[in-house]
Amino acid sequence: MTSTAQELHPAPTLEPGRTILELKGLEKRYPGTHALKPINLAFKASEIHAIVGENGAGKSTLIKLLTGVMPRTSGDVIWEGKPAALATPHEAMALGINAVHQEVVLCRHLTVAANMFLGEEASRFGILQQRAMVREAQKIIDDLGFDLPAHVVLGDLTIGQQQLIAAARATVRGTKFLIFDEPTAYLTRKEADQLFTLIRRLKGEGVTIIYISHRMEEVFELADRVSVLRDGTLVGTRNIAETNDAELVKMMINRSIEQVYHKEHFTPGATLLEARNLSGKGFENVSMTVRAGEIVGLYGLIGAGRSEFVTTLYGRHRKSAGQILWEGKEVQVNSEHDAIRIGMALAPESRRDQGLCLNLPVGLNLNLPIYKRISSNLLISSAQEKTEADRQIANLRIKTPTRNALASSLSGGNQQKIVIGKWLAHGAKLFIFDEPTVGVDVGTKAEIYRLFGELLSKGAGIILISSYLPEVYELADTLHVFRRGKLVATHGFHTANHEEILTQALAEKQEKPGGQI
Amino acid sequence: MSTEAIPAERPKRNYNALFGLTLLALLVLLWIILSVATPSFASANNISNLLRQGSMIAILAVGQTFVIITGGIDLSVGAVVGFATVIVAMLINAGVPIFLAILITLLVGVAIGLFHGFGIVKMGLPPFIITLATLTSLRGIGLLMTNGNSISINNDAFQLFSRSSFLGVPNLFWMVILVGIPAYIFLHHSRWGRYLFSVGSNAEASRLSGVNVQRTIYMAYTLSGLCAAFVGVLLASRIGIGNPTQAEGWELQAIASSVIGGTSLFGAVGSVHGPLLGAFILATINNGANLLNVNAFWQRIITGVLIIVIVYFDGLRRRGK
Repeated sequence: MTSTAQELHPAPTLEPGRTILELKGLEKRYPGTHALKPINLAFKASEIHAIVGENGAGKSTLIKLLTGVMPRTSGDVIWEGKPAALATPHEAMALGINAVHQEVVLCRHLTVAANMFLGEEASRFGILQQRAMVREAQKIIDDLGFDLPAHVVLGDLTIGQQQLIAAARATVRGTKFLIFDEPTAYLTRKEADQLFTLIRRLKGEGVTIIYISHRMEEVFELADRVSVLRDGTLVGTRNIAETNDAELVKMMINRSIEQVYHKEHFTPGATLLEARNLSGKGFENVSMTVRAGEIVGLYGLIGAGRSEFVTTLYGRHRKSAGQILWEGKEVQVNSEHDAIRIGMALAPESRRDQGLCLNLPVGLNLNLPIYKRISSNLLISSAQEKTEADRQIANLRIKTPTRNALASSLSGGNQQKIVIGKWLAHGAKLFIFDEPTVGVDVGTKAEIYRLFGELLSKGAGIILISSYLPEVYELADTLHVFRRGKLVATHGFHTANHEEILTQALAEKQEKPGGQI
Repeated sequence: MSTEAIPAERPKRNYNALFGLTLLALLVLLWIILSVATPSFASANNISNLLRQGSMIAILAVGQTFVIITGGIDLSVGAVVGFATVIVAMLINAGVPIFLAILITLLVGVAIGLFHGFGIVKMGLPPFIITLATLTSLRGIGLLMTNGNSISINNDAFQLFSRSSFLGVPNLFWMVILVGIPAYIFLHHSRWGRYLFSVGSNAEASRLSGVNVQRTIYMAYTLSGLCAAFVGVLLASRIGIGNPTQAEGWELQAIASSVIGGTSLFGAVGSVHGPLLGAFILATINNGANLLNVNAFWQRIITGVLIIVIVYFDGLRRRGK
């Protein structure tokens, strides 16, 4: 393939409405798991087809089969009327099937242009035609309406911008069938809008789009049809005009939407933690209390100072002024170690970077905070190590073959349960949850919320940080709103409405937060 | 959505033990082949010799493995061995009682390890860099202290130790057991061992779970330094001199033993028995090659090929092919 813009643009050959790709009894088994039960589904040319389902429902497996990353166990794939083997990624790409993943899979240290032409560089007598490629790439980017330079290093762009580049890259390779796997997870609202424009435009050019997302509002905004997967089975396909939120959620989890936000009210007990005029890096003069049996919600945009505030409480960063009181007495929290000793526990925002030892067993991850307790002097009681791990696995309903399975082999939701579960045995009194349900499906969300209730009933207090307003709104007994490092408003349970809270968090009302609303 | 279910792997409960058995089988196989191929291999003399040859690298490899499990590397161990021979030789020649001389030498090893920890934790230097710096400067310090000469140790009792046997097994090999058993208990049955793994897997997650990451790193390098100083004492006893240029390249042999023994250079994977077996496999190959009159240059090539082959097959098995 050469590198002129004309040849790189999509070359659809089918008129809209005709079937481009058909799955007949497509099936995938792993040892011990039936990841995808035989599926029959036809995708039409020039449609946006959303696929929704919980984590572990089989969406990723389906994508891997379609993009040739993994071989199928049985069934047929009919591409433009002819059977296709789809044995390798190369074959899928040659047919015109391409995917844009949630995490950007590009080379951060190369330029935007170099990434656009990666593997298909223009060269003359073996010498790269760098300037020509930058010109070409810039033309494509401008053409798509993205306001981005082609000559800069990819890593200098925001994650959202990189995602746009990844999308642009996928569109210029003769793509007829493009899969977006949760593309907006890291995008701002503005970037998401640019992406949606691109997607609609591709549809106009005859490309079939598969759009996978946890966000219902995006599905209803974009899609023509939607298919629901549950436990590896195709539950059904609906025209978007003929369905609604509630029906899709019910199809996904087999349970109604009201049961998701599970809120129990307890009478608050004694004050556990008090911050008095606390200041530190990224926030100033914040005062609040957390009592036993209550959830204190912290809402605000990313960068508003919520995370900085709690990591300072937790001893990760030094406070610059103010006091921290624990059960009425002033305490010095100089390290995470101090915080844990006092009785705090933090489930961090990024489970991959901060929450889990991925290449170690589930059991070790669960026991990590309590090894001191389950070892006499230096030696670990292996019986206790086993019972503690098995108890948490059963208690939290973590889906894992055994406690010796590696944490990396579990689904995202189950990994999140480990991040939370490891503190339950520790006996902490104050739990800090930083974005506990990011990238987690509705079913796991419901389980995590139920867990909150359990903790509260045992007399614990919870600080809940979320960028997702419905979550803090439905769960928090006290809701604090952060804006630019300051605590700007405090509400009781349901004493303010969404608009008020949003306005307080945004103030200037310029941009909605992180595409989450 | 990268969060969706990857097929759950079948439990690898006995993976470590299994891999250890494979290595043991390889070692026994080598011994059988060499016993048949050469008349002298199976002699008591040669086996003793082989155990002596492998012992010192084996002890180094154990310390090295602790460091590698945390995701680091200790390039200084060879230099520490050479430096330790100088220290112990000088102390003994100065009339310091043997036990005190050994104790002080071991403390020097601990101090070097603490310095590595300090460089990594407090100065933020990569382990590769700080231990590389120690590698070259320790040799220099040793040469300054000795004016470039070897120091003959004038104490027969000290030298006798490494040449003697107990229950027919060379004392040097008993030292491997002396180090190996506590090391095994420490790594696999103590919480500090668990912390070595967790820090190597994800330092941030460990920190947030209340693990003292800095102390864990200090500990790993201190133990490596301690093992190296101990090997220095053994080497001084064996060759009867203190010389800072001794043990050239032993750090690479220690790393090779560790890696052959199943340790992952990315951290969080490793054992104690693996590196021990790895060290004796390397020693057997060298010993066997000598007996078979294989050119010494070839021995180095064989070692290189062996590293590639074993680590490749280990990687295949880990990925479950």
